Amino acid sequence: MERFSIVRLATLKETSARVAEGAGERVIRAGGIDLLDRMKEGLEAPTELVELQSIGGEEGTALRGASEKDGGWRLGALVTLGQIAAMTDLPKAYRALQVAAGEAATPGIRNAATLGGNLLQRPRCWYFRHQDMVCLKKGGDMCYAQTGDHRYHAILGAGPSWIVHPSSTASPLLALDASVEIWDGKASTRTVPIADLFALPTVDPEREHTLSPGEILLSVQLPAPVADQRSAYATAKEKQSQDWPLAEASVRLSMRGGKMSQVRVALGHVAPIPWRAKEAEAILEGKTPSADLFVEAAKAATSPAKPLAGNAYKVPLTHGLLRQALHEATGLAEA
Amino acid sequence: MATNKTPIKVGFAGALTTVKTELPEGEPVPWDADSKLVHVGKKVPRIDGHLKVSGKAKYTYDIHLPGMLWAAVLRCPHPAAKVVSVDVGPALKEPGVKAAIALAKAGDTLKFAGQDVAAVAAERPDQAHAALAAIAVKYKKLGYSVDVVSAAHPKAPVVHEGAVGERRTEGHVGEGGGGTLQGNVRPLPPSVRGDVDKAMAKAKPELTHAAVYTVPVQTHSALETHGLLVRWDGADRMTVWASTQSIFSVRDEMAATFGLDKDKVRVVTEFLGGGFGAKFGASAPGSGLGYIAGELAKQAKAPVKLMCTRADEHVCTGNRPDAIQQVKLAAKGKALLAIDVTSHGTAGVGTGAGVGRNAFGIYTKCPNVRVTSYDVFTNGGPGTAMRAPGHPQGAFAIELALDELAAKMGVDPLELRIDHDEHPLRVKQFERGGETFGWARKRAESAKMRAGNARIRHGYGVAASLWGDFGRASAAVATVSVKPNATIEVKNGVQDIGTGIVTVLAQVAAEVFRRPLSTVTVKYGDSEFGPSVGSGGSQTTSSVTPAIRNAAEQAKTQLTARAAELLGVGSAEEVTWDDEGTAHGGGKSMTFAQVCKKIEGEAIVATASRARTYGTAPMAFPGAPLPQIAGVQFAEVTVDTWTGVVRVPHVLALHDCGRIMNELTVRSQINGGVILGTSYALMEQRVMDNDFGRMLNPNLDCYKILGAEDTPAIDIELFDVYTGANSTGAAGIGEPATIPTAAAIACAVFDAIGAPVRSLPLTPNRVLAALGAYEAKEPPLPDHLRA
Repeated sequence: MERFSIVRLATLKETSARVAEGAGERVIRAGGIDLLDRMKEGLEAPTELVELQSIGGEEGTALRGASEKDGGWRLGALVTLGQIAAMTDLPKAYRALQVAAGEAATPGIRNAATLGGNLLQRPRCWYFRHQDMVCLKKGGDMCYAQTGDHRYHAILGAGPSWIVHPSSTASPLLALDASVEIWDGKASTRTVPIADLFALPTVDPEREHTLSPGEILLSVQLPAPVADQRSAYATAKEKQSQDWPLAEASVRLSMRGGKMSQVRVALGHVAPIPWRAKEAEAILEGKTPSADLFVEAAKAATSPAKPLAGNAYKVPLTHGLLRQALHEATGLAEA
Repeated sequence: MATNKTPIKVGFAGALTTVKTELPEGEPVPWDADSKLVHVGKKVPRIDGHLKVSGKAKYTYDIHLPGMLWAAVLRCPHPAAKVVSVDVGPALKEPGVKAAIALAKAGDTLKFAGQDVAAVAAERPDQAHAALAAIAVKYKKLGYSVDVVSAAHPKAPVVHEGAVGERRTEGHVGEGGGGTLQGNVRPLPPSVRGDVDKAMAKAKPELTHAAVYTVPVQTHSALETHGLLVRWDGADRMTVWASTQSIFSVRDEMAATFGLDKDKVRVVTEFLGGGFGAKFGASAPGSGLGYIAGELAKQAKAPVKLMCTRADEHVCTGNRPDAIQQVKLAAKGKALLAIDVTSHGTAGVGTGAGVGRNAFGIYTKCPNVRVTSYDVFTNGGPGTAMRAPGHPQGAFAIELALDELAAKMGVDPLELRIDHDEHPLRVKQFERGGETFGWARKRAESAKMRAGNARIRHGYGVAASLWGDFGRASAAVATVSVKPNATIEVKNGVQDIGTGIVTVLAQVAAEVFRRPLSTVTVKYGDSEFGPSVGSGGSQTTSSVTPAIRNAAEQAKTQLTARAAELLGVGSAEEVTWDDEGTAHGGGKSMTFAQVCKKIEGEAIVATASRARTYGTAPMAFPGAPLPQIAGVQFAEVTVDTWTGVVRVPHVLALHDCGRIMNELTVRSQINGGVILGTSYALMEQRVMDNDFGRMLNPNLDCYKILGAEDTPAIDIELFDVYTGANSTGAAGIGEPATIPTAAAIACAVFDAIGAPVRSLPLTPNRVLAALGAYEAKEPPLPDHLRA
């Protein structure tokens, strides 16, 4: 890791301007978890880390706070995963997010890792993370995972890059129909559905998100739960202490009169973006929960999957996780 | 002192016998089953524990000297390359750089990605790493193989042109030598009993089993990476602080490398952050760390510290060889008829991939056994000893294959093992473990869950351990001093790899004098404190404690003679010491302190070493006159059949290791062995990319090591054994404790899902394939690896 300085400014405007002036050399630091990883791995060598944590006043309060508004919730970009997992006043309807936040990484990392950083971190692909391998994502000619060892790589929506999106909060937030609030760095903010924050590698293989230079993610906004809303999140890992998911499934639905409606299914760590499985939603919408129906929905969710030679296991694994999430959300016993 | 043919009570509870042993000259009567000891065997907390948990313990990494420089090494980025040119000149102009050296020269062939090319020393670590970029190197890339299957192919690029220079894996006792190298494949001498081919030919096909078992390369991944700090103390003398499990091999290597007298090289290792077999010598198996630090220090005229980065640690400091094992078994009725194992394993550019001892040496009632191992040289980086070389690999294949055969035979796997093992204590461990674990009841439960197609299945497995008491004669020389202030000082240059040996040494001295442990100080971890052994082969306690006892007995003899004078009795034989350390003779008494006060001069000092091994109780190690160490582990797993995730909630470990010297430190080693074995079973694996010939996971993120949530509840049952083999009766536990863990877990997964997972680690992709959840495209074993 090379030497760098830390800069602390009091306002968003100064922070954005400072980074914009030194593009490439200066970067924003929130929790710094992934940023410092990348610096230690020799992938990046910024000379200046400009801290979001130092921002004060109302801006700082908004970045660090969580608040209810019209039945929905606004979570500041600097709220940590640990804080989300521990919140007691969030509606049960958002349970998928709380479980995902509480199962990511380790307690130590969760206490420092921010929601914004979790959504905007770079992929964990071992070709991307290898200092000497100049892959497509780093401006090279090809994605080495396609022909190399891709056991942790994408089965859905992939090509020309086979990364999976690394965020564990992204798939529950997608299922929960969240939006993100983005500041343009000068005067105005825009709010977009969280699906629009992410972009497939066909758009730009070197980026995973759609923020423009100078833009800062301010908050995540959760809409007021629909009536009788339930949500669930399921993940599987090779290692239970501190590991990245092999796959994740998040669901949100409304249970009324014994039937499911407003069903949202989102999958994580199976595609370069958090992946909405509309095929599964269509099968479940308006139906009475049953184990067989869940199997059918799980199969539909991966029907567009095109696994590579070494990651076909992710298909049945995703089936299992989605079935688990559906059983949990609906309260239908597994056996 | 003993006379010829001394009676010694040996064995274990329920099987004690008295053997008449001819003891070596000057050897005290060994502690045996009748010895009543007050310090040895007790649960004594580590005497240096508070230093470790408070952060006061100084590891090599923590040593900083005034004016010290930091080294960094430029490593070859190609798995095989010819060096065209190296120029370190530009690096010397970089900020802070004080010395730069080339480690490869034009024309050299480099055999793995990570091999030494050049090195620099600079004022700051970041300057040293940055300066590496200024070194100009031109390579000509060569063909390579980084896996066993391609390297063993007759047309593979040859890794070693000419003789293989590397030594065999250290600590691999009893299986020396190798056959002629053909291409990249070198056969090891086979272990043969009976006639396997004939037995196989006679066996009924339905009572035979044949399958292929694979295990991955594992890296040692010690928390403290390899490294050392070298300070020249004049032109012909140096002090070295090294993270090593063998102080004296560091000394010897540095002396040989720089042409120094051995006694002018001082090596210090006060605390060590793990070794596991990769930290013998000043250099790592794949990097000349000792030369690099010493030469840079010489050129820069300043102390130089060189600690490996985590990536270096994975690629150039050795690893545990992988194995592809073809196992064939045959049975007749309820009896094992034949075991035939053919194994190919990579040790990278190093050697030593034999896996045979478990298959050959445990189920010895099987009349026909043949194990053939082949070393396969690759461009994957060097292999080296790792905690029980060859054994965890071999245990996994033979134990899982036995369970598969047992299923065909309709025999309980535990009974099959008991019926074919001749080691009396291991049989007892199987039986006792079966009761404690609730084997029969649990196996019935798992069968029920399988039949009911439950999502979460439980499974239960058992596997065995085999090791030897490889304690070395004469290697450790201990000095024990008794001082006028009634304190006892023990000196020996042994390093404490983390086992707690220092505490055990103090216990032994306290025992001999019957003095409180607090009156004993131990000076260790420094070559100035007298010769000692490397911490390998699970031999440290067995090698060093007898030397300590023997020296302490001699010092006590001198002290007794002084007491006799003071008590006014004619001879030392008339003096007796009671359990409070008080001397009695001629109707008078003197406390220990009173006697010590009258010591003439600075202290009573005695020096002694360990005698040769002179016993084999309760049973000899296969092919050598030394005691065999047994052990059995039972594992419980849960398998989530929807996700393929395996968890290990419980391991029961039943072990013996001669006399239990300190129950706390023994348990701690067994905990470590089980954790390492569980990690090997569930997640550890080096992943190589064939297109680059490089390791994809040289970190601790994608190279996964068991964490707290993955760690099983570990129950331990210990069995005291009186070996009658050395003066303390100590044997080893470090290696035997990790041999059967992964095997027992794999057997438990087979029990849980009714299908074997024949490759480690037992990750969800493999479990889901075994469950038939998707069609896994595993290539068949190629013809060139078939027996």
